[in-house]
Amino acid sequence: MGDNKSDVLQGTLDLMVLKTLEAMSPLHGYGIARRIEQVSGDSIVLNQGTIYPALLRLEQRGWIKSEWGTSETNRRARFYSLSRIGRKKIAEETENWERIAATMARFLAPSN
Amino acid sequence: MDFLRTLLSRFAALAGRRGRDNDLDDDIAAHLDLLMEEHMADGLSEADARRAALRDFGGITQTRESYRIQRGFPRLEQFARDLRYASRQLRRTPGFTLTAVLTLALGLGANTAVFSLLNCILLRPLPVAHSEELAVLQTVRNDDEHGSNHSFGAPFLRALERHHDGFETIAGYSTHPFQVRSNSSNVRVPGAIVSGQFFQMLETPPVLGRWITPLDDRDGQATVAVLSDSYWKTRFQRDPAAIGSTLTIANKPFTIIGVMPSGFVGADATYRPEIYVPVWAEPIVDAPYNAIESGYHSWWMRMLGRRAPGVSLDRANAALASVSDGILVESIPDAKWIKDARTHHFRFAAEPGSRGYSYMRDTFRRPLVVVFVLCSAMLLLACINLASLLMARAAARERELATRLALGASRLRLVQQLLVERLLIALLGTGAGLLAAPAVSRFLAAVLIGGNGDYVSLDTSLDFRVLVFVAVVAVVSTLLVGLVPAMRATSKGLNEQIKSGTQSIHSRQHRLLPRLLMSMQVALALILVFGAGLLATSLQRLHSIDLGFQPKNIVNLSLEMNKQSRDGDALVAWYHQYVDAIGRLPGVRATAYVSYPPMSGSIWTETMHAAASKAEQDIYMNSVSPGYFGTLRMPMLSGRDFEWSDTGPSGLKVILSQQAAQKLFPGQNAVGQSVIQSDGSAGNKSFQVIGIVGDIHYASLRKDAPPEAYVPMTQNTDHKPNYVAVTRVEGSVVPLAAAARQLASNMAPEIPAPVLTSMMTDIDGTIASERIMAMLAVFFAICALLVTAIGLYGTLAYSTARRTSEIGIRMALGAKPAQVVGLVFRENAWIAVYGSFAGLVVAWFTARALTSLLYSTSARDPWLLIASVTVLVFIASAASLVPAIRAARIDPSAALRAE
Repeated sequence: MGDNKSDVLQGTLDLMVLKTLEAMSPLHGYGIARRIEQVSGDSIVLNQGTIYPALLRLEQRGWIKSEWGTSETNRRARFYSLSRIGRKKIAEETENWERIAATMARFLAPSN
Repeated sequence: MDFLRTLLSRFAALAGRRGRDNDLDDDIAAHLDLLMEEHMADGLSEADARRAALRDFGGITQTRESYRIQRGFPRLEQFARDLRYASRQLRRTPGFTLTAVLTLALGLGANTAVFSLLNCILLRPLPVAHSEELAVLQTVRNDDEHGSNHSFGAPFLRALERHHDGFETIAGYSTHPFQVRSNSSNVRVPGAIVSGQFFQMLETPPVLGRWITPLDDRDGQATVAVLSDSYWKTRFQRDPAAIGSTLTIANKPFTIIGVMPSGFVGADATYRPEIYVPVWAEPIVDAPYNAIESGYHSWWMRMLGRRAPGVSLDRANAALASVSDGILVESIPDAKWIKDARTHHFRFAAEPGSRGYSYMRDTFRRPLVVVFVLCSAMLLLACINLASLLMARAAARERELATRLALGASRLRLVQQLLVERLLIALLGTGAGLLAAPAVSRFLAAVLIGGNGDYVSLDTSLDFRVLVFVAVVAVVSTLLVGLVPAMRATSKGLNEQIKSGTQSIHSRQHRLLPRLLMSMQVALALILVFGAGLLATSLQRLHSIDLGFQPKNIVNLSLEMNKQSRDGDALVAWYHQYVDAIGRLPGVRATAYVSYPPMSGSIWTETMHAAASKAEQDIYMNSVSPGYFGTLRMPMLSGRDFEWSDTGPSGLKVILSQQAAQKLFPGQNAVGQSVIQSDGSAGNKSFQVIGIVGDIHYASLRKDAPPEAYVPMTQNTDHKPNYVAVTRVEGSVVPLAAAARQLASNMAPEIPAPVLTSMMTDIDGTIASERIMAMLAVFFAICALLVTAIGLYGTLAYSTARRTSEIGIRMALGAKPAQVVGLVFRENAWIAVYGSFAGLVVAWFTARALTSLLYSTSARDPWLLIASVTVLVFIASAASLVPAIRAARIDPSAALRAE
């Protein structure tokens, strides 16, 4: 695990979870956290526990749904997957994010 | 949409909280397991793998926290937790809790009770539709010393019924007990005589049958009656066949045509009629009196009107003023009366009448307002007391709170928690107060009604206005009372706390506020005690007025002879027979007749002058039988009493009171002289004075005795006059009552049973409002003293407890117990002294407001002031003594060890 730990904003964590679940479903909490770390190339190190409030949030909004299943180590755990609404929301949220990133890029570009 | 789903989910989560917690634990356990697997696969030992897994996961507790916050309504759950904590804290100190709750309950309960009464008498509108459109009519003269007059006679009623511009409906009514035949005897039932438009005006549809309408209110129509719901229930068991059946009122048949709903009270909320009859039937129910025939001599009705839609009160007033003169000319056949009225700018007027009209309002407005002020002072006292107690308690927990602050609690959170505790106390206090309020209210109402006639009823049920009032007061009190101590207690950092170590060093400012509060309490208590003292002294002086006769053990037996057939001499003979029979009953010392017993409220005046001079005097009259003066133990100063043989043919005779004799015949002996009574149209009557008796109070305790004259009942030319037998009794009244009734029913079965009242009760009734005020003031003063004593004791106990170690040191260093007592005592001495002083100053200036209510008592009576201060000082000392003595008993070594 690296030494640089950077904070991950709440909203971005939500989007990451959604994209993760879009790619691989169903996953349990450990799986999602691991995959996020992998995809981000280990530059983001989560306190993996923070995934759970985020999952709850998404589930409350109805963007993901959960089912009980058994983990690889034979323990009872919840497995999450995208709901129909969630799928739609991914497109919206992605668009939002790209817009923000573009605006920021303009600000940060060296003035010519 | 998302928000809604989230909200719903949170709500749902409230239900299965524990289940959800377990779910999360399962998830976490599974997650940790997988992490451990991963690390062990990397080659770590199990223990190391576990540690690494935990590190990767992050804080489990934090995760759980965030999860919970996300899941439910954290604020709500926090509040619930605070509530549980607060109730636990309160349960641990039952003494404090009880004191605080009782204090609040006393303050709130008393206030609520008085407010409901105020509401009922002064504020509550009549339960009819659009009561704000109603107006009470009055006659106004510019020089009327009593303000406007609300009484109307039949001529004005009929004229106004014809000319009521500005009003949609206009009606007159009079409340009156009716004599109704029930089974085989006659009973008196509260009734009302109402004009044709009465029910229309009040817009309340009958629950059965129909109203009295203007068509019913014409001479010679069928005699009809409308019942109240409660009478329909008790007399007819709610049988619908009651409509059309007959009720015998005053020995004449009345047909029942309708029943009004329960809750309908007519136009006077304090008198609930059971039967309504039309105005034209007044001579029937009032027989043998006929107020209608007396025309403009009899002012027996009140009038109300409902304003036409869109007409303001001013316009209605103007309309009334413009028709006044016309009605005057139309209704009054007496030119002199009209001229007199015009000179005094006589006119009709209207005032807002949404509450109907009640004489109680005038009588009790002032006392009730005084009482309300007292109550508010009481509530203020209670709040201050509570504040001091809470402050003391919070101060005692300062160390605990400072520690929690240091451990990371936010100040807001702590204050919130303390406020919840206050809120709990406030809720408990309010609840207790509200529970007690109806009982107190009923008690007050009973006292108010006490000497005020039959059938007065006060509906004191709590209603919306009262509840709002209490709620507002409770909330405001909590905020006021809870915030300051809470803020103060959390203001010191732990460092300072530890520095102040034994807490024996207190900055001056720290002590100032509690002391100020307690002083204010003492001052308020002093004012209340002083006020109570004033009112009580005044009452006592009223009680000890010499009335001129001996009222104790006198019983009034009222007879009503209207409904039987004897008259003139035959009736006098009957009366003679009856009074002799009463006189022979065991326990009866003396008995005689009088038409208006003293203090009964009725007044009869005539104008007289000595035969030789023209100087006229207003004389208060009474018609009496022989033996009257002896029965009342009035001195016979000269001449003789009447005898049964003093009948008409022997010449009109009169007995004068001493004052009347001196006014009519100054410097002479009045016995044997002649007095002329100016009788207006009936010519003059000449009386011969045969005796002089002492002066007595006629109708009022507070006013001096007026000049009085007595004529013999044997020479009374009225038809079927009613008399009251004043009877001096020894021992129990009960056998007399039964015997008197039996005698009456034997000798004249058609008349209603004679009504027994005690003269002392009547007399007390005339000073009812003074009595109430004094009683309530004393009640509040006692409460105030109690609350102050508790407060003084409580705060001193707390502060002493905190100084335990200091006291221990002092004693260890050689202080004697007496010195310790002195030390502790001094705390409260400061408060008592300053508080009393402040209270004295305020009392000195404000007592003036009570002057009009006092009788022969100065509002600045020095003895009372001294007495009040003494009482306060005594109470303060007593309250302070217990903690002081306890302080002196502190074992120095134990105290030091506890540090």
